[in-house]
Amino acid sequence: MTHGYPPMGPGAAGPGAPEPSWQNDPAWQTDPAWQNDPAWRTDPYAGAGAYGHEPAATAVAPEPSTPAPDPAPEPVPAAAPKKPGRDRYLDLLRSIALVRVVAYHLFGWAWLTVLFPSMGVMFALAGSLMARSLNRPAWGVIKSRVRRLLPPLWVFSAVVLTMMFAGGWNPTKDPDLGGGMWAVIDLFNYLVPVGAPPFPWQIGSQSGLLENTWAVQAAGVLWYLRAYLWFVVASPLLLWAFRRAPWPTLLAPLALTAVVGTGVVKIPGETGNAISDFAVYGGCWVLGFAHHEGLLSRIPRYVAVSCASLVMAFGLWWASGHLGPDGWDLNDIPLSQATWSFGFVVILLLYSPSWQELPGRLARWDKLVTLSNNRAVTIYLWHNLLIMATVPILDQLYNLPFMESERASAALDSTYMIWMFFLVWPLIGLAVLSFGWVEDIAAKRSPRLWPNGTKKKAAASGDGGRGGRRRG
Amino acid sequence: MASRTRRRGAEHGARGGSSRRHAPEHRARGAAPRRRRVPMRLLLPCLVLVALMAMLMLRGYVHSEILADHRIRPEAATDKVPEKILEGGPVIDTRGGRAETLSLRDHRLVLTFDDGPDPEWTPKVLDVLKKHHAHAVFFVTGTMASRYPELVRRMVEEGHEVGLHTFNHPDLSYQSKKRIDWELSQNQLAITGAAGIRTSLFRPPYSSFADAMDNASWPITEYIGQRGYLTVVNNTDSEDWQKPGVDEIIRRATPKGGKGAIVLMHDSGGDRHQTVQALDRFLPDLQAKGYKFGNLTEALGAPSAHSQVTGLDLWKGKAWIFLVRASDNITGVLVVGLAVIGFLVISRFVLMLLLSGIHARRVRRKGFRWGPPVTEPVTVLVPAYNEAKCIENTVRSLMASEHPIEVIVVDDGSSDGTARIVEAMGLPNVRVVRQLNAGKPAALNRGLANASYDIIVMMDGDTVFEPATVRELVQPFGDPRVGAVAGNAKVGNRDSLIGAWQHIEYVMGFNLDRRMYDILRCMPTIPGAVGAFRRSALERVGGMSDDTLAEDTDITMAMHRDGWRVVYAENARAWTEAPESVQQLWSQRYRWSYGTMQAIWKHRRALVEKGPSGRFGRVGLPLVSLFMVLAPLLAPLIDVFLIYGLIFGPTQKTVVAWLGVLAIQLVCAAYAFRLDKERMTHLISLPLQQILYRQLMYVVLLQSWITALTGGRLRWQKLRRTGVVEAPGGPVPSQRSAGTRDGDRRPVG
Repeated sequence: MTHGYPPMGPGAAGPGAPEPSWQNDPAWQTDPAWQNDPAWRTDPYAGAGAYGHEPAATAVAPEPSTPAPDPAPEPVPAAAPKKPGRDRYLDLLRSIALVRVVAYHLFGWAWLTVLFPSMGVMFALAGSLMARSLNRPAWGVIKSRVRRLLPPLWVFSAVVLTMMFAGGWNPTKDPDLGGGMWAVIDLFNYLVPVGAPPFPWQIGSQSGLLENTWAVQAAGVLWYLRAYLWFVVASPLLLWAFRRAPWPTLLAPLALTAVVGTGVVKIPGETGNAISDFAVYGGCWVLGFAHHEGLLSRIPRYVAVSCASLVMAFGLWWASGHLGPDGWDLNDIPLSQATWSFGFVVILLLYSPSWQELPGRLARWDKLVTLSNNRAVTIYLWHNLLIMATVPILDQLYNLPFMESERASAALDSTYMIWMFFLVWPLIGLAVLSFGWVEDIAAKRSPRLWPNGTKKKAAASGDGGRGGRRRG
Repeated sequence: MASRTRRRGAEHGARGGSSRRHAPEHRARGAAPRRRRVPMRLLLPCLVLVALMAMLMLRGYVHSEILADHRIRPEAATDKVPEKILEGGPVIDTRGGRAETLSLRDHRLVLTFDDGPDPEWTPKVLDVLKKHHAHAVFFVTGTMASRYPELVRRMVEEGHEVGLHTFNHPDLSYQSKKRIDWELSQNQLAITGAAGIRTSLFRPPYSSFADAMDNASWPITEYIGQRGYLTVVNNTDSEDWQKPGVDEIIRRATPKGGKGAIVLMHDSGGDRHQTVQALDRFLPDLQAKGYKFGNLTEALGAPSAHSQVTGLDLWKGKAWIFLVRASDNITGVLVVGLAVIGFLVISRFVLMLLLSGIHARRVRRKGFRWGPPVTEPVTVLVPAYNEAKCIENTVRSLMASEHPIEVIVVDDGSSDGTARIVEAMGLPNVRVVRQLNAGKPAALNRGLANASYDIIVMMDGDTVFEPATVRELVQPFGDPRVGAVAGNAKVGNRDSLIGAWQHIEYVMGFNLDRRMYDILRCMPTIPGAVGAFRRSALERVGGMSDDTLAEDTDITMAMHRDGWRVVYAENARAWTEAPESVQQLWSQRYRWSYGTMQAIWKHRRALVEKGPSGRFGRVGLPLVSLFMVLAPLLAPLIDVFLIYGLIFGPTQKTVVAWLGVLAIQLVCAAYAFRLDKERMTHLISLPLQQILYRQLMYVVLLQSWITALTGGRLRWQKLRRTGVVEAPGGPVPSQRSAGTRDGDRRPVG
């Protein structure tokens, strides 16, 4: 699957030029890669996170939240020299967002979207990193972001498309797609997610191993990548606008949401979804800019927090009058999602303590935070498919001898979701082992199997870390 | 713990002088006991709140505000219901896999009453039945049985049968098996608690005749049979709930041709006077025609449907009834409490607006003077404990004073060179007096002994005066009756959230509360950050005392009792730095509120004394106790009802009511800001203050109450002695600042 990479790779278009430049840049240096560079970090996630709404989604639907794949989580500690290492507070937020997304997609609890608006947080983190990276020529930044995003997607697309075709799906004959050549052209979105990739609404049979909506679930998460991609492409323009007119740029996405997200203006189809995603999370993305540019810290804190909570209160109030099919699920209520996420992100970013390392009891989560940040794209892309995959595995339990009794199976029935939740993490771990290294290749690092930061620490103490870490 | 204390000290130090405190005794008083109290101060209020919430929810639950399900399923097909059921009698027996029905013999009538017991109509129904020696069956819901257990007991005692009608009357075809089990067992629990029995009769909500069974309700009936219940539907439906008139009810209830029947009536759910009147005619008429009115098992000639319950199940039932009772009673009390607190809050606001308006008008009147202008020099006392960071600013601000002053800095055993800093400034009219660390009251007394003039201004080591502050502060002494003057403390660091909240609090405290207290002549506190005293008055009451944690409140009350007026000088502004962390704020407020309680207790005898002391004791003390000590105790009710209302409804009304109270507060705050000519922007943080800060304040007060009620006073005295002993040796000043930021700039009373 890696082969996909060459064309886009460094070699290809902008050959290399850009990259070197950053590598030398001390700031980046640390991470040998980008890992350390916040900018990168973000991205990956960014990609992931985007998902917010899945348009299509369905049942399980993908919640938007996940962060995408940011490549970078690297813990780059060592890098000494230089610039401050990764901000572990932001890393922690990204990890929480990922866990929240998986939990939401699995349990489907609407209140999770209120408890922690993962997608908004992911886009804000990505926006902040993007603003930081845009100190460099825009074209190079866009290219490198896209390059880091696509190879992991290609691996995922290859697997999913193979499964769909093996399941007998023929895009040219799928009535839901309108058939014909357009469906085939749409498949291009599996390579570069500029639009919504096509997928069969039903595939396989009810009694098959996977639920017959697995394709919907699997492809549903791709909305995030689409949104992320568009945000990246639009960032130079957004940042330019933000620097000339910060407040209008910051608030414009909310205003746009009020227009396209409330039915005042209805844009049909996937275009509508794309614009709605862009509007809903655009505020958070630009907030990332504001954070990076220091706008947030220039406002007296009491004003920022008070206004943010008023915006959030508006979001809740709006939601209370526009409950969706799942009640308080903000993914179904664009204006509430936009305002609630916006206010939430303002408060999170205002209190951003800039940890060099996780404090106190959080320190024990250090490795998992590092790993999830390093593999955010992989985790995001695969989690929904893996959630589906837990079902056939768990169903084997019913065949165990001691499960014969009605009580035992009733007990299993009632706790099924909990077992799914426990099982999905090892599966995600397997996916990280199997496909995670692609993220390293995409970032032009040497591939690592399980980048949870342990090596890097050793390396760090040793030489500045680059080499050691990478290998790790 | 040691390390914790140390770390805290360090932190404060780093932050700047904000939190110093004098005196070991504070450490002893504050720190040591606090260690033990830590869990208590959080645990107890939390437990109380959780218990209140649980009681409210229990009440909401038995009043069908929670978990109620009002859906009714439309009719469904009947192809899966056995023919013999559809055509059979009204008593359906599906126990043990059977599917049989029973009918009544001719001239047997069984009256059934659904949805009760009702406190008004059920007793009347029972009276009529008794009058005519008839028995009946009451299908009671769990909610009503829980609330009116004595009626269920009476039914059983008078020979009627009771049956289950579910706990809160949902359409069972929408419910899971789990919920059905629960509806039955909870209903049974209530009956057991009320009358000490179990019943084997059941009537499904929204049921009618046997031939109305359909594919949705039949499986439920089968399932309920498996649980051992007889399902009882009816033959004739009086439809009394439609209130069709007495004659019509009788017509509908009467079976044709002398047949036996189960008659459906209702003793609850609205006005049932027609039912009662109809019964009073129906019973004798039909009895005259040879009908017998028995309960179901009498009519069927079967053993009673009741069985006695003993042991654990009986006690569970009784406990349930007791809890429901208690929750009803407690809720009643809570509602009264809410009304009281609402009344207090509103009347306090009204009083404040009124009196502060009067005060402002009075002192701003053209040509207003307290008396002849005061131009004599005054002494400024600056007690300082480890104020190295701030003391220079403080002293310099005094040097700009427009009023002639002498400055005495009393260094209370600082370890950071506070005294040296002042001395190094080499200012002519500034003296430094050093003492071993002995506490703020002792430092003030020492300064007093060294003072050269008759008017004493007291300030904190981290407070900054404006050039006019001292002059404005001492002008009221032109009136010989004035013994002490409170200045206007302002928060300097008001741009953080917690700073903005305190800013609002200070502005309201100084511009509303203090003006009100000034007019009422019972201002409870001269802020330590900016206050002035007549020396002769101080000497008459014996100087500062360390009897309480709030020496400023203590001395102010003593002044009142001695007959001096205590007034507010609005233009004497002093700038202070408010606590920036919740921890610091907590400690400060704990000291204030506990100190206030101590001071009130210390001066309690004023209540019965004569003269000015008695006046203060009978007007000032109760007022201060009410507003500062008792009202905050009820304040959590606002939040309890807010949360309950938000979650269980009526959400809209709750939000509107809350916003209404917020608007009143906003008006008051805006008025206070206007009086002080402050910019209104900080008012934007008022809504958040109401849902985060206010709670912190009353939790602190609750903690003070707990300390006071659990023997804090005893502990205190013992510790105080220890403190004094330790003081000289005075180990390091590892100050915990918290408790300490001198409390002195209390905005309120």
